[in-house]
Amino acid sequence: MSFILAAIILYFVTGVFLSRHKSATMFLSGANFVAMILVLIPSVRVLVTNCPFELNFFLPGIIGNVPLRFDALSAFFAIIVAVTGFLATVYAKGYLQPYIDKNKSVGSHLLFFNSLICAMFLVVLVQNALFFLISWEIMSISSLFLVAFESEKPEVLKASVKYFIYMHVSVLFIIAGFVLLNIKSGSLDFAAFAEFLKNNPQYSNIFLFLTFVGFGIKAGFFPFHNWLPDAHPAAPSHVSGLMSGVMIKTGIYGILRMLALVGVPSPALSYSVLFIALVSALYGVLYALAQHDLKKLLAYHSIENIGIIGVGIGCGMLGLAYNLPLLTVAGFSGALLHVLNHSIFKSLLFFGAGAVYNKTHTKNIELLGGLARKMPVTAVCFLIGAVAICGLPPLNGFVSEILIYFSMLQGMLNHNIILFSALMFSFAGLAFVGVMAILCFTKAYGIVFSGSARSGLSKNVKSDVSFSMKSSMVVLAAFCLIIGVLPKYVVGFFKNSFAVFSAEGDVQKYLPINFIDNVSNIALTLCAVCFAALVVRGFFRNDRGFEVWGCGYDKLNSKMQYTASSFVSSFLEITKPLFIKKVDVKRPEAIFPTEAHYGSHVEDIEEELLINPALRFDKQLLQKFRVLQNGNLQQYILYGLIFLVLMLVMTILAEC
Amino acid sequence: MNVFLFLMNLIFLAVLPFVMLGVIKKTKAFWGGRKGPGVFQPFFDFVKLLKKESVISPQTTFVFRIAPTVLFATTLAAACFVPLAGGFTLVDVDCAFVLFSYILGFGKFLSIIAALDTGSSFEGMGASREACFSTLVEPAFFIIAGSVCIFTKNLGFESFSILNSFGHTFSLLIIPAAVAALFIMLLVECCRVPVDDPNTHLELTMIHEVMILDNSGVDLALITWSSAIKMFLYSALIINLLLPSVLPDGLNCLLFAISVLLIGVVVGTVESATARLRMLHVFEFVFIMTPIALVILAIAVIKMYRGLA
Repeated sequence: MSFILAAIILYFVTGVFLSRHKSATMFLSGANFVAMILVLIPSVRVLVTNCPFELNFFLPGIIGNVPLRFDALSAFFAIIVAVTGFLATVYAKGYLQPYIDKNKSVGSHLLFFNSLICAMFLVVLVQNALFFLISWEIMSISSLFLVAFESEKPEVLKASVKYFIYMHVSVLFIIAGFVLLNIKSGSLDFAAFAEFLKNNPQYSNIFLFLTFVGFGIKAGFFPFHNWLPDAHPAAPSHVSGLMSGVMIKTGIYGILRMLALVGVPSPALSYSVLFIALVSALYGVLYALAQHDLKKLLAYHSIENIGIIGVGIGCGMLGLAYNLPLLTVAGFSGALLHVLNHSIFKSLLFFGAGAVYNKTHTKNIELLGGLARKMPVTAVCFLIGAVAICGLPPLNGFVSEILIYFSMLQGMLNHNIILFSALMFSFAGLAFVGVMAILCFTKAYGIVFSGSARSGLSKNVKSDVSFSMKSSMVVLAAFCLIIGVLPKYVVGFFKNSFAVFSAEGDVQKYLPINFIDNVSNIALTLCAVCFAALVVRGFFRNDRGFEVWGCGYDKLNSKMQYTASSFVSSFLEITKPLFIKKVDVKRPEAIFPTEAHYGSHVEDIEEELLINPALRFDKQLLQKFRVLQNGNLQQYILYGLIFLVLMLVMTILAEC
Repeated sequence: MNVFLFLMNLIFLAVLPFVMLGVIKKTKAFWGGRKGPGVFQPFFDFVKLLKKESVISPQTTFVFRIAPTVLFATTLAAACFVPLAGGFTLVDVDCAFVLFSYILGFGKFLSIIAALDTGSSFEGMGASREACFSTLVEPAFFIIAGSVCIFTKNLGFESFSILNSFGHTFSLLIIPAAVAALFIMLLVECCRVPVDDPNTHLELTMIHEVMILDNSGVDLALITWSSAIKMFLYSALIINLLLPSVLPDGLNCLLFAISVLLIGVVVGTVESATARLRMLHVFEFVFIMTPIALVILAIAVIKMYRGLA
């Protein structure tokens, strides 16, 4: 337990005192490494022995008793926070170097970086509602300042303000849920909430609804995902990797923790979670196809993967609601394993995108191409990340997806028709999502790293990125491969976290260990067969070099290649009604045309149809109250005077 | 493990894909009033390609070099899951159809990137079309395979052969629909008319052929063998739905081989009888699989309802 306190203090102290130092990033990397070890030791102990431990301390005032409870679920998320935090710090060392060279001050940025990691760790640790909200707010505000690193650019500022507003709407819903239970149960402790909900199950639906909406906005589920595609491209890449890999998982942690408090959710709620998660997954991947900004594409993919995690959670909830232990265990283990996998390959992909931006200074993939020649390590790591996120064997995305498929098939064997239809449509939906992800990532990898350079920005890249950036990417890629071929050890290691939701001993009985064993062996064999084939082929190489066939044209032009938009255009033609495509075109005119250009981008249809009209209406309504805020100093002093008089009158009246 | 079946299937895997290609060409020649190349010509082409050198463009990166080999390795790995002659499966595991699709998907992923790697507009076009068409096939295949698995309460590929001997009237409704859908899937994934014309090299009509335009030598040999094996595997799935599984081993192997060649003749006839569809209509053609899959799903639901009531 002291390890945990030491880790928290270390994170905070190094952040506060060392961030203004000249070699701050190096000190921070070292400190975060030590803190990671300090977090890993108790986490591993809790996961292996499944004995949660507690520390209570008393804070004065209304907060009262603050229990820090560290059980297997918290340990799982704590490991993700610590490891990804450390790797992001190492990456930041290389990424921030150009900014430091240009004398931009990164001191406060690093302070908020460490406080973000510390706050995320606290969020998974505390079990007192008010302290949880305090840590949650520290997390939101730190990430806000991290996103606004380059706030001199107007789009970055706009994105950070939008992010700020979304985060506070989400906190409002969470506060509503906690306040409801606090008033009813009279205590702020999560354990007391659980007791109360066990005795009065009629409140569980409204409580789960409020907290699911709140945590869902943070995680990035469908109707409220709009902050993700703006905040992630605006933030620097180490922050995007950390946010997308870990911070949106705290939303998932919140959902899971509230579910553990309730115990058995109602079927209606489970079906709605499944439905919304499926729609998020489909929507995310569909919009990712249409993007040509590399980080915005990755942000929409985060929405898709959160949807896949949500489908796993939905299956688990349906298992709890209908009392089908196999569905429960397999569904939650698939979801949690996908949380782990997503944090690894998403951070890897964001770090790769950051490496590309670091070298070419553009995120627009239409201007890139052929980077694999000059940046081989980045290319291989990005390729591993791309194959992993599509869920292809032998990497880790495949294992979690096939666990979710397995759980759905097991659930469908049941005789309940509504359950069968819902699971079958999610099954087909997940298959569709997987295939669209293949389309999207062949585009992302193929246009950026393959082929020839489409513009000078890409041609002028001389070498690969610095060692710190490369090493963090290589470590993450290695994790992808290891978890992909040895999932039985990983699942065996984490199995106690899945046990939070099922009855005692259920996990041991129902975890599909044989199935995971088979999948392990198959992935390992596939890896070995591919490697052996490559080695054998390497012996028989008899190559000659010549230009590709260009239909008889003498010089192949890089403009002859497919662009990202043309690659997906045939698919987008079929799904045209689901997008709003804005085209900016100036056609060539006159006999000797001087200038012509064409640009297109896709806008989020849900934002245009649902969110923006509501915002416009609010703005119109609030304009009427503009008269109260007219900047007139005398009027503000008058407000203060009226307030004082009112207070005086009310106190006198209360006395009488 | 039945050694006889294992050896027969090894021989079939080595021989039948090429013979199937030869049979398809012979059928098309027959319908065209020509004599056509010999049935064993693809073997000679394969051996000829093995002796040639590979021409690699300096424009390409490492992906172009590894993709054909990995494609071949993944196709062989996928062949381990499909029940071949005599219902023999090398690896029998739950959710086999998910493993089958995703392992083939890995090979497809790398071949699409390798096509984009050449930096030529031809390969980009083929890559884009190949990626787009396969998106429409997967969900329908998963619905069909999932419904068949739930219908027969068996989660592996064995469910396809069990469906045959189920004795339930509904299986007689499912089998023709599933065969039709799987046949459309064969036409799409193995790039046959009316989806793609494997003979022409006109850019208007190419999908798979144009993706491999710049591969040569051993790479091209491996790619050709991989596509032939893929067609063989999809035919094996169709045959599993149709052939009764309770025959003795030798007869089963003979019937399997004859059925594979028969499917080759049917594919050849379809290729001769229809013209390649316009690109837009290809999407509609591929999408026909989805309503068929929903019909099979509805039949499975009705069976469950009847079982409940």
